[in-house]
Amino acid sequence: MNGLILACQLIPLLGFVLVFLSPNNEKVISTISNWITHLTGVSIIALLALWVSHGFQSYEYVWFSLYETADYHFPILFYLDRVGAVYLVCVWIIFSIITKYCRYYLHRETGYKRFFLNIFGFLFGLNLIILSGSIDMLFAGWEIVGISSFMLIAFYRHRVQPVRNALRAYTIYRFCDIGLLLGTWMSHMLFHESPHFSQMASLAENNVLSSLGYGELSLLTFLIIIAASGKSAQFPFCFWLPRAMEGPTPSSAIFYGALSVHLGVFLLLRTDPIWSYHVVTRAIIFFIGLLTVIIASLAEKTQSNIKGQIAYASITQVGLMFIELSLGLDTLVLLHFMGNAFLRCYQLLVSPSIITHLLRVEGAANTDFYIEKNPMRQFLPLSIRNQLPEVLQNTLYVFALQEGGLEFLVRSLLWTPFKRIGGWVNALNVWWLGLMTLTALGGGVLIATNTAIDHKYLAIPVSIAMIIASSSAFSQKHSPFKVWNSILLSYILSGVAVLLINPHIGSDVLMFFSGILPSWLLGIIVLSKLLKNQHFEAAPFAFRAMAETQPKLSLLLFISFLGLVGFPITPAFLSEDILLAHASSEHPWFALPITIAFVVNGIAAARVYMGLCMGRPNETYTV
Amino acid sequence: MKIDMDNVYKTADDLEKHGQTVSFNVDNAIAHIAHWLPTQGPIKDFIHHNTLHSVQHFPFHHGVAVAAKIFGARSYLPLNDYQDLYSKGRITPAALDWAVKRSGLIGKPQDELVGRLFVRDAHSHYPPISIATNGIRTALLTYLEVDLNGRVHPVLFRLLSNFLDQGISRWTMPKSGEGFWDCVLRLVHNSFLPLYPFHDHRLRELFLETPDTVIRICLEKIVGDKTLYEQYILEMLLAHPGWSGMVNMIEQAPNILLVPRSISLKELIAVELACELAFLYKKKGEAFEGISQLPQLANIPRLSEVASSAKVAVRLKVWHEAMEWALHTELLRALKTQAPAPKPDAAIPLRIQSVFCIDDRECSIRRHLESLNPAIETFGAAGFFGIDFLYQGLDDAYPVAQCPVVITPNHLVMESGNPPKPKDSDFSNMHFRAHSLLRGWLFTQTLGLGYAIRLAWNVFSPTASMAKIQKLSEIKPHSKLHLLRESDVPTKDGYLLGFSFKEMADRVGGLLTNIGLTDNFAALVVIVAHGSSSVNNPHFAAYDCGACSGKPGSPNARAFAWMANHESVRKILRERGIDIPTNTRFIAALHNTSRDEATYFDAELHETFAFKELEAFKATMTQALERNAKERCRWFELSPKAHNKAHQHVRARASSIFEPRPEYNHSNNLYCVVGKRELTKNLFLDRRAFLHSYAAETDPTGSILVKILGAIIPVCGGINLEYLFSRIDNSVYGAGTKLPHNVIGLLGVANGVEGDLRTGLPQQMIEVHEPARLLIVIEQSPEVIDQSLANIGDLKEWLDNEWVRLVACRPTDRQQFLFTATGWETIDLPVDASSPLFTRPEQVFDVQNQTIPAHQLTRSLS
Repeated sequence: MNGLILACQLIPLLGFVLVFLSPNNEKVISTISNWITHLTGVSIIALLALWVSHGFQSYEYVWFSLYETADYHFPILFYLDRVGAVYLVCVWIIFSIITKYCRYYLHRETGYKRFFLNIFGFLFGLNLIILSGSIDMLFAGWEIVGISSFMLIAFYRHRVQPVRNALRAYTIYRFCDIGLLLGTWMSHMLFHESPHFSQMASLAENNVLSSLGYGELSLLTFLIIIAASGKSAQFPFCFWLPRAMEGPTPSSAIFYGALSVHLGVFLLLRTDPIWSYHVVTRAIIFFIGLLTVIIASLAEKTQSNIKGQIAYASITQVGLMFIELSLGLDTLVLLHFMGNAFLRCYQLLVSPSIITHLLRVEGAANTDFYIEKNPMRQFLPLSIRNQLPEVLQNTLYVFALQEGGLEFLVRSLLWTPFKRIGGWVNALNVWWLGLMTLTALGGGVLIATNTAIDHKYLAIPVSIAMIIASSSAFSQKHSPFKVWNSILLSYILSGVAVLLINPHIGSDVLMFFSGILPSWLLGIIVLSKLLKNQHFEAAPFAFRAMAETQPKLSLLLFISFLGLVGFPITPAFLSEDILLAHASSEHPWFALPITIAFVVNGIAAARVYMGLCMGRPNETYTV
Repeated sequence: MKIDMDNVYKTADDLEKHGQTVSFNVDNAIAHIAHWLPTQGPIKDFIHHNTLHSVQHFPFHHGVAVAAKIFGARSYLPLNDYQDLYSKGRITPAALDWAVKRSGLIGKPQDELVGRLFVRDAHSHYPPISIATNGIRTALLTYLEVDLNGRVHPVLFRLLSNFLDQGISRWTMPKSGEGFWDCVLRLVHNSFLPLYPFHDHRLRELFLETPDTVIRICLEKIVGDKTLYEQYILEMLLAHPGWSGMVNMIEQAPNILLVPRSISLKELIAVELACELAFLYKKKGEAFEGISQLPQLANIPRLSEVASSAKVAVRLKVWHEAMEWALHTELLRALKTQAPAPKPDAAIPLRIQSVFCIDDRECSIRRHLESLNPAIETFGAAGFFGIDFLYQGLDDAYPVAQCPVVITPNHLVMESGNPPKPKDSDFSNMHFRAHSLLRGWLFTQTLGLGYAIRLAWNVFSPTASMAKIQKLSEIKPHSKLHLLRESDVPTKDGYLLGFSFKEMADRVGGLLTNIGLTDNFAALVVIVAHGSSSVNNPHFAAYDCGACSGKPGSPNARAFAWMANHESVRKILRERGIDIPTNTRFIAALHNTSRDEATYFDAELHETFAFKELEAFKATMTQALERNAKERCRWFELSPKAHNKAHQHVRARASSIFEPRPEYNHSNNLYCVVGKRELTKNLFLDRRAFLHSYAAETDPTGSILVKILGAIIPVCGGINLEYLFSRIDNSVYGAGTKLPHNVIGLLGVANGVEGDLRTGLPQQMIEVHEPARLLIVIEQSPEVIDQSLANIGDLKEWLDNEWVRLVACRPTDRQQFLFTATGWETIDLPVDASSPLFTRPEQVFDVQNQTIPAHQLTRSLS
């Protein structure tokens, strides 16, 4: 069984590596993907068969310990239970179908290799999430799914709009990672190590949960809900899902119709014991589901494009799943998930047929459903049936048209503050800025040496400075170098802050920088090569299409970007977690600024990468 | 702050007072701008046209260069492609010489050009700096650091697509008859919730003005310089050419929509400018710099200078012309040097005639039919068979035009028969509507799992499951057309219901005269229309008959056969000298070009006459379709190598939901031959030729030719140029790849949910196309052609500016003449050149993925 779990987990990775190493030859890639899909399918089926023969027992497998110190432990462990099994079945069915579908559908497409790379990356991340035995592992898979989703939305990089929407989806993903990152840390704090999912069920029985504070549990639930609603496009993040439908239709079907969109539900099912303990936390989930259902089902009424309509229909159903979850109907949720996944997947795949269907089969164009012609109208008293004032109709229409205004809400609450701060900092003169920093530092050192204030409190101004540096990177539009440097500055400040709080973890900070510094350096070198003959200042907002004109350097820039955002390819990913755990075990407040800085840095770096590498080449931006 | 109207006008007045007599007329400007917008209507009827109609008044190469400077598109293939064709021998040195001589360069510059021809240059084909991508608007947005496109487009596209939607959304935005501006005004002013970004009080006040005034006020703020207004609006509209073009098309011809909507370009411009102003206010406050205050305004390309400043890339132009000439001479050489046609074998009596569409896809099926059965004679005519009408089938909600777009039909024909079964009972289609809250919940909880099986079934066994899809382009044979007019009272839409006998005789006689079939009728004449069935394909209309405005031609074929069979029609025809023998039967059929299947209509007629002939024709057709499928498979890389599986393979293609290429349509169309079938009968033209029958001797004054040219120039020329430009720049002139397409409001497709409508052809239709202009060869003397050309009106522009090439092939000696704006040039092909020979047409089936030059066929050996 252990071997089979590893097979399910590693075969997609093998597929990824093989496709990456193979030449850009459709036949080869098609054969590889065929074999890998079959192998994954066989191992999933074998694993499940074995699991069934063991009597549906939840199963845990600890492979090895990736990192271990006295008070910190990061084991690689896997877990399989009923929920995971259902998800695995769906992954197997949908994945086999989609791969077969795509081998024909993407025939002769220029991005054939890129597509299958992303698809196998996605499968790897997905299986990691489903089979993960702890929140840390799950977080790694979460990140991988996020990046492959981002790359597939921007699959057609010649056009500005897919690129823009990829960034939009990525910012939401990134923000919701705050939830998961903080959630991971909180569970470390609360349970003293990242709880194994296998032990979670017993938490409630052993009264561990009831011993914890009510407020702490609510906070943890809240964080998990943020992560779940971000991924599943629930209130208030509904708007990104339809806009993510920019890649090839099958990729939209597998991500936003079938699998990725239900990961939020998965996360909630996994962490069920944590949040189902209290009525209030259940109520939160119930109301998120309810709000989503209301907004999404209204927004769906005014979608004049077919994929958007399917997306909102799907969001509505996921909202219902949230409601069902909060009512404790887990089995129903699993059924609902499967039904919704298959149906939406199918609907998206056949969405191009809608024209022929409506024109030739239904024989009816224009549904003519004016709002007041609701069939329910006949149940209203005659006297008010036609009196629903026009202004209310208009209001309802505007509400549906703008999809509940959620995007404006999210944008103005989340991103505008960073833009403002960053814009203000970037407007300052460099010397002035330097002077201020030096004064602040000097002052800090002076205070620290001459007074009795605990060094730890110095971490407060440092972490403020860290956020300011991140904001500066976020709103910096005129120089990619400055963005990269601001990100580095922000990370350095975070390291300083961590050391101020806990001076004994120098080695962990060092490990952190062993991931960040090389990435930064690589980025700076690549940027200077890429921009050598460019007048960046002349058109800072143009998309420069370097993925096409300078593919190798672009790949390096991408790797540097991944390193900078703490993607699980450098030690930075692990130490991100460790730093959080160490630094904030005594000072919980510190978790918030450091997470925010990580998230905002990621978005800033992504923006630079997109601006330089995506787009369509033309005479100006070609050397 | 309130916008000071008086102040705005004062400034304008001041300008005039100070001697700057710059004036700006909104309507004139819009008329100029509309000229540049794409003219593609709703996707349900896809009408091929010259993508660059806006520069058609320039000579081809100059026009393409001007368009490149406007739209930011490529003008030719990448240089390497031409060089590769040269090294493969498809571009001959002779053709290259010919093109160099015509480059307009002489002496030293010419030598320099020749020197540069073979230099490799990977960057030569990047699109130029253009008005659309680097104009004054882009400069302003860069300067102000506001991504207006990213902000305005989603808002605007949502409003537009919901306003124009033809049936996807459940709530309809406009009230009946409401215009776009009024509708937006209603939502802005009469809703409790703000309509973002128009909720700003300044904008709300602005909306109380007329669209004209709004346009003026916004331009005053954003641009400031009246000379630049027009260019600004154009750049703004070209940031989303698809929607701008669609609005313009709907304004010009509201009846192209099934559910009419009242919208004008002016309203669109007003709403968009107001939206831009709203975002600029929001970002920059009221005091932002307009375009007239930009620091480097002088360096930005100007619309007024584009026509004069556009430069033709000489090197690419020469290569392109060389490629075209090389391909064109392949046909010319074959026509000239082919062996004289063998005398018709007296032992085989001619028993069957069949009329096909000129479509290049019918070129091969005709060849197969003739070679399989010498008793079959084929003709080519525009696939609406001269019968122009609106048709409403049993399944159709609305009548649709069944004729080329240049003709406006006056007659309506309805199909009658047993009405189709009620639609709601069709359980298998429930998923199309399973979106709503409760239904969706019930559906996902119960049937959702079944979709796993259905999906797997569709993907792993496509041919087995999709029997129902044939509905798409096939018409049930068991129904009747209401053709004979019973009353002269027009319907309420102003159409005449059906035709009178005289009108029928006019049409039937007209077609028979055009194709030169006025005597020697066989016992059976099969009228073969064509259509194409495909699944999961929003561009389905682009696969059907181009001469029927993107519909299957079967109603026309049925109508023609009915009319030509009718004794009253024959009587009138007899008076006009066309004597159709009593025992001659016309039978209508439909060739499904994607599945390679044939359907025969009106079966009750089959047994009365010509039964034996029809059976023979059907048998031959079955074989011919088999061969045709094989021939088509050579373009499908994933097709099975075994020949006997070819037919099954093409059928699977047409019914697989994962197949973006049910067929390659008009890919590689290149020639159009107007003349007797004898001219091309023994040539292998690789499905690249539109073939129109024409008997030169019956047309001494060229009057028949006028009619033929009137159909083939816009239809075949339109198809050819649409393929050409979609291939040359698939992201600007074409629709890009099909894979991410999303259907918007049944109007068109876009990338993603908030994209611009894509115009042109998707990559999967044009990827194997060799983009060369159409060569029309007319078997007629130049003198007669000159007489015809004098009467074709505006279409002459196509020839004078070389958007299509015209060659006359003198019937007496097959001497060829090339049409140029200055007169006919004699074409002298190298004397020793002769066309390669095929002894068996099956030889070609194994040549994968490349075009084959025109070959001679020697049938006697097979």
